[in-house]
Amino acid sequence: MGEHWVGYIGSFHVHFDTLLTMWCAMAFVLLAAFILTRKLEIIPSKMQAAAESIIKFFLGNLAEIKNGEKHIPIVASLFLFILVANLMGQLPLRLIQLKQGEVASPTNDINMTAAMAVIVLIYYLYQGFKAKGIKYIYHGLSITGIITTLVDLLEMITRPLSLAVRLFANILAGEILVSVMLGISAIAAPIPVMFFEIFVAFLQAFVFMMLTIAYILTSVSEEH
Amino acid sequence: MATELATLGAGLAIGLAGLGAGLGLGIATKGLMEGIARQPEASGKLVGFFIIGAALAEACGIYGLLIAFMLIGK
Repeated sequence: MGEHWVGYIGSFHVHFDTLLTMWCAMAFVLLAAFILTRKLEIIPSKMQAAAESIIKFFLGNLAEIKNGEKHIPIVASLFLFILVANLMGQLPLRLIQLKQGEVASPTNDINMTAAMAVIVLIYYLYQGFKAKGIKYIYHGLSITGIITTLVDLLEMITRPLSLAVRLFANILAGEILVSVMLGISAIAAPIPVMFFEIFVAFLQAFVFMMLTIAYILTSVSEEH
Repeated sequence: MATELATLGAGLAIGLAGLGAGLGLGIATKGLMEGIARQPEASGKLVGFFIIGAALAEACGIYGLLIAFMLIGK
């Protein structure tokens, strides 16, 4: 639990098990997207209907933002990747022995979730500056304006921090909980916890996506 | 001595984190019930927001659980 297969590429510290599982999740999402969008027709086949309903789910969540559909690429890829990555943790992949660490969900590594949170930060800052220019961060030279700017700067740290730690802590605590239940009884005790972890996988992916949408919404929408 | 103190700290961490998360979840459920009682047709939309809020409140409890496991696992 929480231990990783540490290696070095040059002077960089690399967690190879996270890298491996991350590429597996990425390959799964890319392959699914490739297969689901073959042979698009006006009257959809079953696979095309499934893909369209997934896209409609994101469109419904982005409805509050003006021109929301242009944010679908980042929002959909974050949700689908996190969902696949979280669900991978419930597969019996730990049977594969590594030199160190274990084959589990890639989101149980803080580096992985922090990287995604930083991507979200850069994206919504870019959208905010594109929509409002310098006024996105500069609110005038009054006392309230300066305090608002300082709070904005503080939010640039707290928002990615809470995004990263929430996802990482939920997934890691789920894995630790399953192993604690294994210590109580190996036969049946972990099963309810594992079902709950499947629910948590969906919930955390959804929460990450909804917070991303909320951050984009606050940075592009006009203040009143 | 240090191990006993770490165990005490783990118990305190999970207890206080659970207290806060439980209070938050209770308040969120109270708000949901009041909202549904006042406007039953909005329940679908309210439950969606409740799930997000509940996940945010629960995450704070999870932080405490994580710290507790880290303290015991030393």
